[in-house]
Order: sequence, then structure tokens, then C-alpha cells
Amino acid sequence: MGIEVKSVYKRFGAFTAVNGVSVDIKDGEFFVMLGPSGWGKTTTLRMIAGLELPSDGQIKINGRDVTYEEPRHRDIAMAFQDYGLYPHLSVFQNIEFPLKVRKIAEGERKKKVQATAEKLGIAEYLDRKPGQISGGQRQRVSLARALVRNPRVFLMDEPLSNLDAKLRATMRTEIKKLVTSLGITTVYVTHDQIEAMSMADRIAVMRRGDMVQVATPLEIYDRPRTEFVADFIGSPPMNLFPAHFDGKKGIAASVQPFADSLSGEVADRASSFADAQGQFYVGVRPEHLMIVRDGVEGAASANVDFVEPLGQTTNVYVDCDGHKFIVVTDRTEAKIGDVVGVAVTPGKSRLVARN
Amino acid sequence: MSSSTAPRGSIFSGIGYYLLALIATAFFAFPIVWMTLSSLKSDVDISAYPPKWIFSPTLESFRKLFTELNAMDALINSAFIVCLATLFAMIAGTLAAYGLARFDVKNKNFIAFEVLSIRMLPPMVSVIPLFIIAKQLGIFDTPWLLIAVYTLNGLPFVVWVMRVFIQEIPQSIEEAALIDGCSRFECFWRVTLPLLLPGLAATMVIIFMFAWNEFLLASILTSSEARTLPVIAASSIKAKAISWGLGSAAGVLMSLPVVVLVLLMQKYLVRGLTLGAVKG
Repeated sequence: MGIEVKSVYKRFGAFTAVNGVSVDIKDGEFFVMLGPSGWGKTTTLRMIAGLELPSDGQIKINGRDVTYEEPRHRDIAMAFQDYGLYPHLSVFQNIEFPLKVRKIAEGERKKKVQATAEKLGIAEYLDRKPGQISGGQRQRVSLARALVRNPRVFLMDEPLSNLDAKLRATMRTEIKKLVTSLGITTVYVTHDQIEAMSMADRIAVMRRGDMVQVATPLEIYDRPRTEFVADFIGSPPMNLFPAHFDGKKGIAASVQPFADSLSGEVADRASSFADAQGQFYVGVRPEHLMIVRDGVEGAASANVDFVEPLGQTTNVYVDCDGHKFIVVTDRTEAKIGDVVGVAVTPGKSRLVARN
Repeated sequence: MSSSTAPRGSIFSGIGYYLLALIATAFFAFPIVWMTLSSLKSDVDISAYPPKWIFSPTLESFRKLFTELNAMDALINSAFIVCLATLFAMIAGTLAAYGLARFDVKNKNFIAFEVLSIRMLPPMVSVIPLFIIAKQLGIFDTPWLLIAVYTLNGLPFVVWVMRVFIQEIPQSIEEAALIDGCSRFECFWRVTLPLLLPGLAATMVIIFMFAWNEFLLASILTSSEARTLPVIAASSIKAKAISWGLGSAAGVLMSLPVVVLVLLMQKYLVRGLTLGAVKG
């Protein structure tokens, strides 16, 4: 049940927009596709919607093969980045539209529109045209239009990116609450990592038409599989130290103490992260590093390049034999030019594959 | 001080604008007024010099127009031919424009160019082949010939203008309709078409006027049965004299439907229903 995407490709001439994506989205799951624009998330979503046909592969919704079905036969609803409201119809008629097309009786239509509009707090604008209400209200109308007929699948294509930052934050929570309470399977496309982290049950990080990693938000944050994911999620991003296998030391990294802190069990899996040349990264989140006295055992010796106090935390930019990276600590005494030790919280070094 | 000068300046510039608009309107309206007055004058009053502004109006010219020149037949011919041709050109042209704007048609720019190329031929060049073809097909001097010719003449304009109007409608609106449960045709009918109304109205008025005023093809491709109003109007110019009263009356008769059409369509001719309504 839910949505099954099986090795789906989309090619536009010589350009491959979606490169054999396979994923099972569970019934009632909030699934987010995250990545920079132009790397296949929207195309994948549009293929699930039926607005775009795959060049190859299969898409099933609730167990039914819909790969080549028309959108109207898929029992889906969709919210668009620019809302896609019908400008010549009133808010009421916009929300009523999907019911009217499906020939639902007028009395029932009215009741449903009213109920949905109240749920979304737009009941007082029902008589207005989309051009006469604000951006946030328009997005609510588009959500209402999508939800009014209780679809089993809800697709959202960057629905919040035209809103200002404050409104985006409130709409984020509202959408998540609403969709979760209704138990609708949701596929949500965004390039905003905060939206993805805060809303998703699972995130798929997309890069050049591939799903690089599909996992829960915390899993993605804690154990990014590749350099791209590590760099894309988290701010400041994860520190990556080039590493390779070395006969004597096992794993040799540009800052050796961080490789040494890998537990034996993790180190055993290193081969699965290495590329053809045996290269990979040791990654450490900035907040898992600490500033200690220089010379402490197991700590790397580094110069302080720059200190950025942010109030709650402090970003310390350090340089260890030419390798620059960031440490996020509480308030610190360290000053520019100091030589300090940098130690990693035990068990927090990670293996990360190259792109 | 400055606050009192600013509005005064805007009052003066306001008056200036109105004055300019008035002069421009007078300039364009003068021939029409002159024609209308002439159509109501007797032959003696028309040629009076200096022009007579106060005269007793008469419908003599109109009477002659309908009795001597059979203007009623021509009016019916014109209305039938031009309405049908406009209708055909609008339907075929808008559907073609929709296809070219929305679907992945192979060589679509070439197709659009090919449609436009109909207009590149001066009418004078096509009139002789058309005459011969019409004779062979036995449709010379029938309304059908002019309907076909006017439809073809209007088509390129409709395709090119409507294509732009359609492209201006955000695609997400149509996609929303498809997902909301519409088929392609329902989506076109319920969503795209209502949004196109201003564009359709403007385009229709223009191709209607083209066909309504067309003289060259009408004068050569008809002889008596299918004669249209412009041909009749031109026959007020005779070898030895110009019948000013008759010509003016024909002019007034020809202008009336266009004026009525524009007044009816005025609401739609003001653009801006779709633009800006989607994004804020």
C-alpha cells in the first residue's frame, strides 16, 4: 500500500532528469524529497501525479499500477508552488471545483466546502477572488481544494517557498498537523532542509536524478551516507576529512585523531564507503568537536583562525596542518592565533562516501 | 507652500491630458461625423459651399441605397459570410494555438511559421488562382468561397495571437484542473477558455473587422449573388460622378455592426483578468 516507485527513469532528450529511482512510501507516511532545484525531485513528484509520464519504470498507488493513468484516475491531490488557483472563480468555487467535476450533489458540496474552509481558517474569504487575498491565504485555499475530497495521496511541490519566513514557519507546523491527523500519504518536495527535517517521517535526498539516501531525518543528520548529504544537511555543515586505507594504521585520515576515534565496529564497514581508489571521508559534525588544551591525548593540535560568538553557541574556525574546519562549542576562551587541541566526542566520528 | 503647488500642478497637467485627449478624439471622430452628416443631407446640401451645418435631415440616401443598390442583400451576405468565417477561424485557430502552446508537437515552430506564411502572400497574387479554382469548383459568386477565403485569412492572426494569450495562463492552473478530476477537454472548457475570454474577444473583433471591410477579394470573387457591403459601397463611385450621399449612407451602414460589436465586447477588451491574479 502507499506509493511504490520502481526504477523510474525520466529522460528529456539526452538529459536524464530522474535516473532509476526506486522507493516505497508507506501508507500515511509524510515523505519529503529534498535537494537543490533541478535535480529531479519535482519531476519525480510529477510522475507520481501523472503530469509527466516516465520514460521507463513503474508507479503503483495503493497497490494499483498507475504508471500511464491520467491524473484524474489516481485519487491524488496536489498543492503547487504558485498555488494553481483558478483566478476567475471565487474561493468557494475553487474549493468546490474538484467536487463539482466529480458530480457530487450540491448540498453535500456546500457542506464539505464550508467544513474544509473552517478547518483551514478561510471561511470568511469564501466570496473573494484569489486575486483579492494574501499569499498565505491563497496557499490555504489550495490546501483546502486538495483536502476537500479526502484524497488518499497528497502531493506538495514546494508549497511554502513563495511565503515569507515567518508565515512559512507557522504553515509548516499547520500542514504537518493537518496531514498527520487525516492520515493521508504525503509526498512533499522542498529544497529547504529545515522544512524537510521538521516535517518528514522520512527524507529522500536527491542529487542529479538519484535518491542518494532515504532515511528518517535524524538518521540522515547523524549518519549521512555521502559527501553531498553531509554537506547539504546541517548548518554549519559536517566537517569532512579525506581518508583512505593504509596497511599499518588501518584508516589514515587527513586529521588522524578523528579517524582513530572510529570504533572498531565502524572501521570494519569502511570498505563499503570507499570508492574505487579506496578513498572516502571521516566526517564529524561541528558540535561533536570540542576545544581542549593543546597536547591532550587523542586530540588534534590546531590553530584558531577565527572566533564567531553567536550567543548560545560559538563557531570556532580552526586550521590543522592546512585542513580548515569548524568547531561549535559553548562560550570559549580561545582567541585568534591560539594553538588549541580539538577532540571528538567518543563515538561521533562517521564514515562518509565520496560523491 | 510646496503642498499647495503640487496639487495645482497636477490639476493643470490633468486638464492638459484631457485637452490632448479631446483634440485626438476630435481628429479621429471628424471624418465619421462628416460621413454621418453627409448621409443625412440631400444631394444639394452635400455639395453646398461653405458646408451647411444646419440642414433638414433626410433619409433619401438610405432609401436609394436599399432600392437601387440592393443593400439589404449585400448586408445579409456580409453578415452571413463574415460571421461564419470569423467563427470558423476562431474555433480552428484557438484549438491550433492551444496545441502549439501546450503540447510537444514535432516541428511546432515550423508549423506556426507555415500558418503565418498564408499572410505573406499579397491578396492580389492569390486572387487569380482563387478565381480559377472557384470557377472550376463551381463555387464562384457563392458565399462559401468568401467564407473559405476569409477563414484562411483570419487563421494566422488567431493562431499567433491566441498562442500568446494561452502561454500567459500559468500551466499550474491547468495541471490543478487535471488533478482535480478534469479530462484534457474539460480542463480546456472549464478553466482555460473562461480565462481566455478577453483574448478571444479582442482577436474576434479584429478578424471580424478585417473580413467585414475586405474589398479586393470580394470585388473579384463575386459578381451579383454573393456581393458584400464594401463592394456595394464602392459602386457609389460611378464613371462620371461620385454619389456622395449614397457612399456616405453605405459607410454608415457598414460602420454600425462594428460599433455595436465593439460596444458589446468592451467589457472583455479590457485585459487583466488572469495577469497578476495568481502570484501576489
